[in-house]
Amino acid sequence: MTEVLNQAPAAETKQLNKFQTILAQFCAFFGFGIFGYRSSKKRKKVFFDVITYTILVLVALVMIYPLWWMFIVSFAYNQLAMLQTSFFPASWASSYDDGLFHHYTNIINLMELSNMNYWKTVLNTILYSIVPVAVGVVTSTMAAFAFAKLNFKGKNIAFFYCLAAIMVPGPSIMIAQFCIYSELQWTGNGLAMIIPGCFGAILTAFFVRQYLYGLPTSIIEAAKIDGAGYWRIFWAFIMPLALPAIMAQAILSFIGCWNNYLGPLLFVTDPDWYPLALAVAVLDTQQGTNVDNAPSVLAAAVLALLPVLVIFAVFQKMIIGSIMLTGSKE
Amino acid sequence: MENRAIASDAAASVQDEAAVAEQTPKKRKVNRAVLMENLWGWFFVCFILIGTTVFVYLALVLSVWMSFTNYSNLSGGTLWEALGKLHPEGWSHWYEYMFAPMYGADGNPTYTGASDDFWTTLLNSVIYMIGIPIGMILSLFFAVLISRDIKGSGVFRLIYYIPTVSSTVSIAVMWSNLFGATGVMTEFFDTRFMNGTPWMQKMTVVIMTTWKGLGGTILLLCAGLNGVNASYNEAAEIDGANAWTIFFRIKLPQLYPTIFYVLVTSVIGGMQIFAEPQLLFGYYPGTGAVSASVDVTPFVGYIYGQYYSNGNYAFCSALGVILMIIIFFLTLIQFALDSRRDK
Repeated sequence: MTEVLNQAPAAETKQLNKFQTILAQFCAFFGFGIFGYRSSKKRKKVFFDVITYTILVLVALVMIYPLWWMFIVSFAYNQLAMLQTSFFPASWASSYDDGLFHHYTNIINLMELSNMNYWKTVLNTILYSIVPVAVGVVTSTMAAFAFAKLNFKGKNIAFFYCLAAIMVPGPSIMIAQFCIYSELQWTGNGLAMIIPGCFGAILTAFFVRQYLYGLPTSIIEAAKIDGAGYWRIFWAFIMPLALPAIMAQAILSFIGCWNNYLGPLLFVTDPDWYPLALAVAVLDTQQGTNVDNAPSVLAAAVLALLPVLVIFAVFQKMIIGSIMLTGSKE
Repeated sequence: MENRAIASDAAASVQDEAAVAEQTPKKRKVNRAVLMENLWGWFFVCFILIGTTVFVYLALVLSVWMSFTNYSNLSGGTLWEALGKLHPEGWSHWYEYMFAPMYGADGNPTYTGASDDFWTTLLNSVIYMIGIPIGMILSLFFAVLISRDIKGSGVFRLIYYIPTVSSTVSIAVMWSNLFGATGVMTEFFDTRFMNGTPWMQKMTVVIMTTWKGLGGTILLLCAGLNGVNASYNEAAEIDGANAWTIFFRIKLPQLYPTIFYVLVTSVIGGMQIFAEPQLLFGYYPGTGAVSASVDVTPFVGYIYGQYYSNGNYAFCSALGVILMIIIFFLTLIQFALDSRRDK
């Protein structure tokens, strides 16, 4: 094979010196033809594939390593062992009385020190991410259905009214929102994190609307002729048919709500109603400098991260597909 | 051919029948059907309209209104009382306040507003955005690698996207340990990150946001690259174009809409950066161990600081209005550049 590839150049090309010949043979091995040596597409592809895989694997390691570090140091003995860890901690938490998971059980105590209850915090997070998403997805789909399939007066005005609202940056109006929520007395009891989301998200509505455009209108016409009301059409036809788009948007919003930090930081004033993300941040500032407790804060960070990663792993096809769809639409 | 003609005839006749069937009852109650569609249409959109009106537009109006008043924790009285009267020193007090130059000891203007740190924090927000071009180039490179004809590209896409879905708080807690005074990365690179100069501190945040945002951009660009028309590629290959030429002359121009979309959204998001620097360096102005230097505080951190330390809602709102105008003009500039390119 090598002999065939490295065939000497035709007679009319100029004589190469020794160095050039070796270089040409070397390059020809990887499929590059220089100094008249023959190139090979197959070899070239293998060569570039190897380079591609090397780079991609290295980048994958860069992406994974910090997460691995965070996971493994939550089992380290204390801050000193934690900070010296590169791949495995020097001393493990198993020397504590309650074993390897000491730092995970320690979170509950630490949260109490900071006037929070761990289980209440978890409940709050679930509440803040499930209720607004579940209700919001239905209201968003209702709007999407109306925008895509119904003809009513002022539809375009209503649509652009919503479209323009996207352009308002959140931080610009967050103080005014805070004032509204405190006037409504929603800041002390977590309602500020629940009720606004229930009215639906504009971006979700647009995405579902785009999806509904792809569905044939004849289904709705047929249902109408058969005497189904608009609510029946929406609930029995549109919701199931648009389910793939709705699910993708719901999962993305769920992840967004779970990770939300600025929202609860401003709108939740009572530590009793803090979600996990905010609780981890509070723990970090209040307990993160303590030598014994530093890995516990990392353990809390892992716990805040884990549900999202599990959901991502389960629904990865849907999530990636939905993001890719956004990319190809543009 | 015949079959098709018959089939279309049949379809047409069915359609006709349907049309007839639809028209006969419609003639009687056409108004009622239209009315129902209108009513139901408005019912279906009313929730999102109410939500948008109350939580976005009302907040926007309130924000602008509040920026003309003197409403704060200290001003006393309820929000409604405060909204009733303008700021005692004139409605534009806060806007003048944030732009007014301050004179140094030597009598020359120092370019910090009378509200200290307005320009510093604004500049910081802009500096944090240098992660956008870096991330763009990196993700373009990786997206091209991933969309090569190789096995397992889906796995890489998946792995690269994990940091994007991860909680910012968790990532920041981990980052402050990795890049902290004795952290692994600090020792590996032998550079002072979190405890270094303000520039290195900012770079820590830029590394984090770039690392975290890479996956999303790669996904979008992969989708864009998949959409590139393959026949152009083949034609160019037959014409003897090499890989560089194909990339720069064929793939990149077709990828341009995706790149533009990513740039616009990341500039809008970049100006709103808050959580990452705040989690790594603490509140501004803050107190004690959790206080951040003004050198690393982004503009939204400044707004939050005014709320957090002074409860100065009116000034916060004025800053928010300025932020909105800045973002609006940045987006406008990008669209203007985009339209010039089309000509």
